[in-house]
Amino acid sequence: MIQQKIREKAKELLSKKEVDLVIGFVKGTLPLRTTPRFIRNPEKTDRLIWNPFCENNLATYLHKFRQFKVGLVVKGCDARSITALFLEKRFKPNQLFLMGVPCQRMVDRRKVEKAVPGEILHAHEQEDLIIVEGDDFEKALKRDDFLYPSCQACTHRNPINVDVLLGDPVEEFPLTEIHPEVKEFEKKSPEERWNFFEKESGRCIRCYACREVCPMCYCAECFVDSSNPKWIERGLSPSDLQFYHMVRAYHQTGRCTGCGACERACPMEIRLTYLTQKLNQDVKELFAFEAGIDPDTPPPLSAFEIEDRQEFIK
Amino acid sequence: MEANWEPKILAFLCNWCSYAGADLAGTSRIQYPTNIRVIRVPCSGRINPLFILKALQSGIDGVLVSGCHPGDCHYISGNYIGRRKSATLKRFLEYLGIEEGRVQFSWVSAAEGGKFSQVVNEVTQGIKRLGPSRRFGKRSDEFRVQSSE
Amino acid sequence: MKLRLDKKDLKSFLQSLIDQYDLYAPVQLTEGVSVYKKIDRPGEVSLTLLNPQKPLKEIFFPQSEVMFDFEKVGKRNQVTSTEEVKKERVILGARPCDIQAISILDEIFLGKDYTDVYFLQKRKLTTIIGFSCNHPLSTCFCSSTGGSPFFREGADLFFIDLEEAFLVELLTEKGMAFQKNRFFKEADPKDISLAKEIEEKASTKGDASVPIERIEKRLNLMMESPFWDRVHEKCMGCRICTYLCPTCHCFDIVDEALNNRGHRVRNWDSCLSSLYSQETSGHNPRPSGRERTRQRLMHKFNYFPKNFGRVACVGCGRCILYCPVNFDIRQAIELTSPKGIKKEKAEVN
Repeated sequence: MIQQKIREKAKELLSKKEVDLVIGFVKGTLPLRTTPRFIRNPEKTDRLIWNPFCENNLATYLHKFRQFKVGLVVKGCDARSITALFLEKRFKPNQLFLMGVPCQRMVDRRKVEKAVPGEILHAHEQEDLIIVEGDDFEKALKRDDFLYPSCQACTHRNPINVDVLLGDPVEEFPLTEIHPEVKEFEKKSPEERWNFFEKESGRCIRCYACREVCPMCYCAECFVDSSNPKWIERGLSPSDLQFYHMVRAYHQTGRCTGCGACERACPMEIRLTYLTQKLNQDVKELFAFEAGIDPDTPPPLSAFEIEDRQEFIK
Repeated sequence: MEANWEPKILAFLCNWCSYAGADLAGTSRIQYPTNIRVIRVPCSGRINPLFILKALQSGIDGVLVSGCHPGDCHYISGNYIGRRKSATLKRFLEYLGIEEGRVQFSWVSAAEGGKFSQVVNEVTQGIKRLGPSRRFGKRSDEFRVQSSE
Repeated sequence: MKLRLDKKDLKSFLQSLIDQYDLYAPVQLTEGVSVYKKIDRPGEVSLTLLNPQKPLKEIFFPQSEVMFDFEKVGKRNQVTSTEEVKKERVILGARPCDIQAISILDEIFLGKDYTDVYFLQKRKLTTIIGFSCNHPLSTCFCSSTGGSPFFREGADLFFIDLEEAFLVELLTEKGMAFQKNRFFKEADPKDISLAKEIEEKASTKGDASVPIERIEKRLNLMMESPFWDRVHEKCMGCRICTYLCPTCHCFDIVDEALNNRGHRVRNWDSCLSSLYSQETSGHNPRPSGRERTRQRLMHKFNYFPKNFGRVACVGCGRCILYCPVNFDIRQAIELTSPKGIKKEKAEVN
C-alpha cells in the first residue's frame, strides 16, 4: 500500500519534472536487504519498494546531489536529519521534495541471522512476522522482537516537515523522560561503562562507514584526516580508536536524530547509538532541544540562554 | 600508585579573566599547587573539546577550564557558548566512564586571585584522590601494537 | 597423504601447535564477528563463522605495521629496524579463497622487481592449514574466479570437516613435516569417501555464474563508458570492501612520533577514500565516487590481470555481505557483460 503510494508519487514528480531525480529503496541482492536507487526515468519508479529492511538513511546522499532538485523517501528519523541539515544551511529552500513514510521501525537483519541455524535464502514480511527460509529450516519471527536498538525506543516514527506523507500516521510511543538504554547504561559503575566502551571501540577497523553513512558527517576535512593539528594517528592504537568514537559522537551533539545508520553500517557490530542517545538526552534536558523538529530553532551549541545551567562550574 | 606521584593538570585559562586572575594570585604571592600547567586561550568559548580529549590521551591526569563570569565575557557571549559545550562534554565524558572530577570548570575573574588558588587547590586534591589517569591514555608501549597480536 | 584428526583430539592438537609455533586462528570478538589472532589457549579458537570479517592477509600484511623505530639519542638520530620474525607460524582455519588471495599478494609483495621484507619474513615461516568450505554461502563466488570451496592450492595442510573428525591432507613439503604428529591417525577409506561426498555437495553451492571470464577484455573498452556514471552512485565511500577484501593491498606510510621517539608505520589505505589520490597541489585526479569506483573495479579486473594474468578477486563475498548499502560487485560485473549491457541499455535511467 505504502509501496504503491511511493511509486505513484515518484512517478508523478519525475513526469512533471518537479525533481531531477528520486532517491528511494529497491530490492537488494540478498534476502533481508534493500538498496538505495537513484531514479531519473518516471517509467522506472515501479521498482521502488518499502519494507522493514529499508534501513539506510538516504539523506546522506544529498550532499552528493546539491546541484539537483531531489525527491527523497524518508522515514521519521531521516526527515529530522534533513531538517537538521536545513538548519545548518546545507540546502537551498525548495531544493528537496520529501516523501515521508510513517515508519513501522526497521528490522535488525544481523539479529535475525543469528536467530536461525543456517544461511537465510528467502525472507518476507507477513503482517507482524518476518518469515525466513534457509536450505533446511523455516522460521516465523515476531518482527517486534528483532528491531534495531535505535528503533526500539523511537518516539518520532511519523516524519515531520515533509512535503507529503505517504500513508496513515502510526501511533507514536509516549515520550519517556530518559531514553531507556541510556537509563540502563547509567546504572553501571564508571569502570563498567569504560570497559564496555573500550571493548566495543576496540573492534574498530577505521573503515569510517559510520561516518560516511551519517547524514550529519559532511565536513570537507574530517578531524581524523587533519594533519595539522594531527589529533589521532591512522592505525589501530586502542586509545586512537576510543578518541575517534568519542569525538565522532560528540560532533553529533544537538544534530543526531538517532537514525542508527552508523551502527547498522559497522562491519564489526560496534554499539554506537548508546553514545549519541546520551548526547540527545542531555541536549533535551539542558537546552530543551531535539534535533530536526523545529526548522527555526538554532542548533544548541551555536546558541545560549543567560539562564543556562551551570551548577557544575566552580 | 607511587607514594610520590604528583598529578599533571592542564589549565585552559581565558586571557581576559582567568589568566589575569591567575597572574594576580602570583603577584599577590598566594600559594597554590604547582601541578598545573597553564594554556592561555582568548576565551573559554574557544576551547575545542578535542583539546581536553587530547590532553587526557597524552597522559594528563586532569583538566581545568576556566573563563569569565557570565555577563563579563570580553567577547560578550563566548563564555555562554563555552558553558554549553562544557556542560555537554562533562556529562558525556562521565557517561563514557571517565571519572567525575578529571575535567573541571570554573569562573574566575581578573580580580579573583584568591579564588583561582582555591580552585587549583580543590582540583589538585580531587585529582590526587582519583589517581593517575588510566582510562584513556596512549601508553608509550602502544606504539608497538600490531593488529593480529 | 591423507590422515585423520579426531575432534576429541582437536584441543590437544591445538595445544601442541601453541607449544611449538605461533598459532593464528579465527577468534570471536563478539557474536557474529571474528578476526584472525595469535592464539594463547585452544579455547580461544572459534570456527563458527565461515570466514572472519578481517581477511587472512592481515597475518602477512597487518593493518598497522611498524617498519622501523627512530630515536634522538643526544645529537644523533638512531634508527632501529623492527625485530625479525624468527618463530615459525601456523595458520589454522584459512578458507580456500583467502589462501588464494595470499598468492595474489605474493605477486605484489614478492614480485620480480621488489621484495617486501616484512611480508617475506612472515610468509617464509608460515604453514597454512586450510579448511574446506562444506557449506558455502550464496554470496561465495570463488567458483567464478577460478577457485572452489575445496580448492587446495596454496594450503600446506588441508582439513575437511567430517563431523566427528577432520580428514587431513598433507599437500606440500611444509605439510609433510606434520606427518609424524602424534594426533594424526591413518585415514579410514570411509573417511575419504565421506570427504568426497561432502566435496561434491559443496561444489553445487556458491555462485559460479558471475561472468568474470573475459572481463579484462570487456573493461579495456570501458574507461569512458557512461556505465560508471551510475554504478557508483550508491557507494558512499567508506572503506569496508577494501579493508575486508583479502586481495586489496593499498597502504599509506606515516611517521608517528612523540617527544624524541617514534616509528614509521605502514597502515592499510583505501582507494575509495576521497583523499587517497589527493595531491599536494590540491588537484585530485579521482575527484568523485565515479572515478574511484571505476578505479577499484578496473584495478581488480583489468589492470591486475594485465600485469599478472589473473583477476585480483577470489570471490570470498565479504564486500557483498558487509557493504552497508548492498553494493554487489557481482551485479557490477554482470553489467559489463554483453547480456548485462543489453539489459542496462534497456534500463538506463
